[in-house]
Amino acid sequence: MGLPVDPGGVQPARGAALGWRGRERLLALAFVGPAMLVMLGIVLYPFVYNVYLSLTDMGLYTFRHPSLQSPLWKNYAEVLGHRELYVVFVKTVAWTGVNVLFHVAIGLFLAVLLNQPIRGRTLFRVLLILPWAMPQYISALTWKGMFNYEWGVVNHLLQQVGLAAVPWSTDPFWAFLAPLITNIWLGFPFMMIIALGGLQSIPQVVYESASVDGAGSVRRFFSITLPMLKPVLAPAVMLGTIWTFNNLNVIWLVSNGGEPSDKTHILVSYVYKAAFTYYRYGYAAAFSMILFLILFALVWMQTRLGRATEASW
Amino acid sequence: MSGGPGIRVPAPSPAALRRRRRARRAQALRLGLTYAVLAVVAAAAVFPILQIVNISLRPADQFAATSLRLVPTNATLQAYRTILFEKDFPRWLLNSLIVSLATTIIGVALASTAGYAFSRLRFPLRRAGMMLFLVSQMFPATLLLLPLFIMMRRLALLDSFAGVIIAYVVTALPFCVWTMKGYYDTIPRDLEEAARVDGTSDLGSFWRVTLPLASPALAITGLFSFMTGWSEFMVARVVISSKQLFTLPLGLENLTSTFATEWANYAAGSFLVCLPVVVLFVILSRFLVGGLTLGGVKG
Amino acid sequence: MRHATALLALAALALGLAACGGGHGPMKLFIWEQMDPKEQVLLDAHLETYLAGRTDLLVERVHYETEALRTQFQNAALAGGGPELIYGPGDQVGPFSIMGLIDPLEGLFAPAMLDSFNPESLIRLARPGESEAHLWALPDQVGNHLILCFNKKLIPDAPKDFAELIEMAQQHTADTDGDGRIDHYGLVFNQKEPFWLVPFLGAFGGWVMDEAGRPTLDTPAMARALAYLRELRAVHGIIPRECDYDMAEALFKEGKAAFLINGPWSWQGYIDAGVDLGLAPLPPIPETGRYPTPMVSAKGYSLNANARGAEREEALRLMAYLTGEAAQVDLARELGVIPSRKAAGAQAESLHPLVAASRAQILHGRAMPVVPEMRAIWDVTRPELQAVLGGGKDPARAAADMQRRALAKIAEMKGE
Repeated sequence: MGLPVDPGGVQPARGAALGWRGRERLLALAFVGPAMLVMLGIVLYPFVYNVYLSLTDMGLYTFRHPSLQSPLWKNYAEVLGHRELYVVFVKTVAWTGVNVLFHVAIGLFLAVLLNQPIRGRTLFRVLLILPWAMPQYISALTWKGMFNYEWGVVNHLLQQVGLAAVPWSTDPFWAFLAPLITNIWLGFPFMMIIALGGLQSIPQVVYESASVDGAGSVRRFFSITLPMLKPVLAPAVMLGTIWTFNNLNVIWLVSNGGEPSDKTHILVSYVYKAAFTYYRYGYAAAFSMILFLILFALVWMQTRLGRATEASW
Repeated sequence: MSGGPGIRVPAPSPAALRRRRRARRAQALRLGLTYAVLAVVAAAAVFPILQIVNISLRPADQFAATSLRLVPTNATLQAYRTILFEKDFPRWLLNSLIVSLATTIIGVALASTAGYAFSRLRFPLRRAGMMLFLVSQMFPATLLLLPLFIMMRRLALLDSFAGVIIAYVVTALPFCVWTMKGYYDTIPRDLEEAARVDGTSDLGSFWRVTLPLASPALAITGLFSFMTGWSEFMVARVVISSKQLFTLPLGLENLTSTFATEWANYAAGSFLVCLPVVVLFVILSRFLVGGLTLGGVKG
Repeated sequence: MRHATALLALAALALGLAACGGGHGPMKLFIWEQMDPKEQVLLDAHLETYLAGRTDLLVERVHYETEALRTQFQNAALAGGGPELIYGPGDQVGPFSIMGLIDPLEGLFAPAMLDSFNPESLIRLARPGESEAHLWALPDQVGNHLILCFNKKLIPDAPKDFAELIEMAQQHTADTDGDGRIDHYGLVFNQKEPFWLVPFLGAFGGWVMDEAGRPTLDTPAMARALAYLRELRAVHGIIPRECDYDMAEALFKEGKAAFLINGPWSWQGYIDAGVDLGLAPLPPIPETGRYPTPMVSAKGYSLNANARGAEREEALRLMAYLTGEAAQVDLARELGVIPSRKAAGAQAESLHPLVAASRAQILHGRAMPVVPEMRAIWDVTRPELQAVLGGGKDPARAAADMQRRALAKIAEMKGE
């Protein structure tokens, strides 16, 4: 197959009525069309509705008949006027960054270990995906129980090794760390699965030739494995960032809705509590628009950055 | 590895022997270290699961406990009997299988094709299209339940599997499309171009050459789509209100109430719910293991 | 890849099947509820009796957790749908009535029928801008109040006042296995939720709001109640350092707690767990001589404003049946709850051994406000309670902060 191939110039025998360019467009339409249609069909209406809602005063006393706010951006101004918002924003960024970092690091590390031909790897793989397979609600609450000051297993272990018991539910710092640990536990298996799949795309010969060159395993990981995993890993990291940023359940369940004293909120739990406790639908809609814009900016920056270093998409 | 058993080496020098022994020792050390790390992480992964099993074995619906025993006093399997034979578990299971499998099949079908187009083809609005998939994930779903309900009602999709399946496909698609696209990017183009030169159609080269090579990504997206349908309950709660359409997560949710949750049954049900996922993972695992795909393709 | 094609066909089939269904058959009514598991079983039994021999009617009961029920119903009713009947605690009718999601009931039943209810159990509330109060729910029980539970193996007789309770509790707070950590506690309760603070607030002469629904949190009574709870640990050492609902349950069920404060929904569970359960009113606090005042509320059925025509008529008949004397006697006999109908209430003591004690506590209780402002009260008292018990915040400052934040939250809720 040493023939030089020019995709634009190939003219196979069949389907020759259209040129490659035309066929490409047709194929693209057939391939992307259905997925796009489903997406637009379901996503567009809630989006537009939400934009409308964010401009109204819909709440407890105006539930059936909301009217437009004056000025129109009143809800937005109120959201941005909360000083607490910026503290929570910083916490959200920390929450997202730490989670994703550990998900990827642990997942990747385990995938590399499990990609070796060692005995019992199927068993290990099964054990390691259990946190992902278990329904989240009960896992999160179980972790909350494990962080109990007096009877929880975490403090018990800490005391066994001679450390002091940690006030997991009364101190704001530790109370924030508890759901973080829980979410890392919940999230690493999925990254491991993706990394395992990604490792299959790396031809063995690349490693073999690197071995010949005398590259050590650490250098091989950073100069071969990581770059070659990037196309598969990058989408997972990007979407993982988005999901973690908006992950209400885990922090809500483990901190029991922000305990102690509403010090353990990320943006999405903050708005959930602030808005829905008081039936403030218009305000919540404006808040979710702002969440959306923040994420949009973050992801846009991420893709810009990605493209600057390498044409990943 | 140097010097396989089949190769005869005449009387190696003592220095070479020493070197080989050292290499073997380093190898053993690395293997031991690997197992040690895996054992520790696996223990951390499994311990909370054991706690949940523990809850399922406790009599009298006790969520918390003051002891750290792995098996509770007066352990009983009653909760498993209750959940399997007194609750509607078999129906929830069937419903969940229908919903999850449909989500998986539709999701993978749409994503494997769309991802291919995004990876291989050049067309107008290509990047905008990819961005749309990402953007759709940026809204916190918990804040969109009201418009979702209104829309589902208008489309007459309330209280139907079709409603949840569509919602789940939309939830799963962005990840699936992007992952498929990323994986296709790693597959050398010359393989399919060669096939095209041999006279295979565009569709044929996708179907017979590229898609099989992307089986690890198909396994990942399949697993992900399945899990989307298998574990989701917030959207399901909005869409479904008839008991005969309950999926597993809804069925489990039904065991909770503010101060009197049926904890033993809930834990038992949760444990049972995670078993099919494990089975599916083991089945799909062979696509996540080396040798079948590109790893084996030289060049 | 042939498998894939087959699977695709299967998916299409599944979708097709899912899209079918429907058609015309018997009328179908929905009830959404947030009952405890044992109440759900009884409701199913009552529905079965009601529907016996009827081919023209189906009733589907769907269970939700309290908060989920609220949001589900709001969304569904706003979109013009939802169940015909919704069952829940009295405080949910406040917001639902203001939002216009449920209909007033007083004109829909005969006056004589409404007269057969204990008047205190009927929740009446005026909508904003109206002077006349309407009836929003028909209750099938009253209570839902906290009470003192004790393990009779450890505490033979209930204490006569809180000083005696503390004394008894101290005798049962101990490190029994000698590992240097206390493993048995005298008193446990959910220290995270202000619902458990309210009885003490009343005992010191305070309450959460005035008649007009304005919060009254910044009072010496509130500061004293907060301080009192903290002293239970800091001075008397009878409660754990941290204790949420589940932990309190665990300690009491395992026989590691002598006293527990909890409500009617929990009692049967303790008996099932083998606890020799005793109940008594929370005893008076010597400092003021007053009894603690747990909140008392009714639970019952409301009518969706979207219910129309024949469905509406049928739903009203069903509502009358489910809150009728026979159903209530059954509830009292099986669960020990207190009926809302006078006739059923008169015989309740003879139906279940726990009713008498439960009723004795209600005498000292106060009705839980059903106005939506109550949500703000819960929301602002919770963090301050936690800050006082866990973080050492000054009780007087906590009380002041509660009031300030409650006023702000209520203004936000009203869109001011």
